[in-house]
Amino acid sequence: MNMYYHSKYRINSEMKMIHLLEENHLLLLMLQHFEIDFRVGDSTIAQLCREYDISENLFIGITNLYSGVRVANNTSFSKKDLLRVIVFLKNSHVYYRSDKYPQIRNFIFQLKQNHPDKELKLLERFFDEYFAEVLEHLNYEDTIAFPYFIALLENKENTAASSNYSSDKYSEHHTDIELKLKDLKNLLLKHLKISDDWMLRRQLLFALYELEYDLYIHSLIEETILIPAGIGIENE
Amino acid sequence: MNKILQQTRQHIVILEASKIISEGLYGVLFHSEINCKIDHCDTLDEFFELFETKTPHILIANSMQFLNREKEVKKIRKIHPNIHVVGMDYMHMPNMNGLFDASFSLYDPEEQIIQTISKLFEKQPFAHQTKTDDDSLSEREIEVLTGIVNGLSNKEIAESLNISIHTVATHRKNITAKTGIRSQSGLTIYAISKEIISIDDFS
Repeated sequence: MNMYYHSKYRINSEMKMIHLLEENHLLLLMLQHFEIDFRVGDSTIAQLCREYDISENLFIGITNLYSGVRVANNTSFSKKDLLRVIVFLKNSHVYYRSDKYPQIRNFIFQLKQNHPDKELKLLERFFDEYFAEVLEHLNYEDTIAFPYFIALLENKENTAASSNYSSDKYSEHHTDIELKLKDLKNLLLKHLKISDDWMLRRQLLFALYELEYDLYIHSLIEETILIPAGIGIENE
Repeated sequence: MNKILQQTRQHIVILEASKIISEGLYGVLFHSEINCKIDHCDTLDEFFELFETKTPHILIANSMQFLNREKEVKKIRKIHPNIHVVGMDYMHMPNMNGLFDASFSLYDPEEQIIQTISKLFEKQPFAHQTKTDDDSLSEREIEVLTGIVNGLSNKEIAESLNISIHTVATHRKNITAKTGIRSQSGLTIYAISKEIISIDDFS
């Protein structure tokens, strides 16, 4: 997947957030997941991190992910960072569950109303089944995976150990929910004939791209930050 | 101009710390007929970092960047034999056998630089050169697709068409490559929209 939305540049803590947003407005999603107010003013990354009690290391690491740069293998994050990562991931779940997916569902529903073709009924059903799978996955992470990681990070090894769960199991369960999203996009871009309705179709596609982008970063955070850290602690 | 360079998008990385030179080369490439996407790295380490997520087709490097790092470059070349490495000659190109597939001088005319890059692709095997853009499914693929849509397993499809499971798997791969769709339910919608199957089978 090509996620190089923007040219690569080194991010340092003296850069102003507002300039980074000019380069890549999708960082607004990151701010939201970090619970940082959009009114960033002239704050530098360092100032924002201090104000919101986030380590610069973590903030820059995730900002880099949003700009297409992976976290280097040897980067280590503190336990406090990782707890923050979990809050970040939970917040992105809220965004998927109550914001983006319902919005997409609504667009598809409207399309179906406007075009009584049978294909769109099927598309709606496709989406609903997909959404149900996504919800199941998100619930799984919220109720099993994240509590496990939190126990692990808060040194409640016994609780963590007795749960009979592990980072390894998590990475196995870690299914690819981006796959059907791609199918949906390809159906709309390559196959389904829908006449007119430009605005609605464009809104739907924009929403799909936005969701795809955030989901991609989401899984990168899990794969390159959370899971390696979890395995590290388990091996201690 | 070589056809592949025009038809399939080439990911080119320029490894050069001088802004003047990399921007100049950028301009030369963009104004050529090469269909490309260009990234830029100042240092070899930055390139290796990019390499963790991307496999570019062509690396155009200031040869000095490889100085004392020959082993690492050779290792990368071994792992990714398909990447073309082109050296930029600054009059005093160090002798680095086996690190470059081609090289040009900073004083070469633009056309010659493009030609140097273009020549690399003449040696490519035929299979790489002509990949048709035709995304329509073959008859066999349509039969396999019908099976998938009807919920048959690979084994059942193989039996019904009298072909091996392995062949079914290959067809499935090609169907996904052509349609861009992986899931069974997505393929169902595809099949209906292309009138391969009738909607009445799925009410």
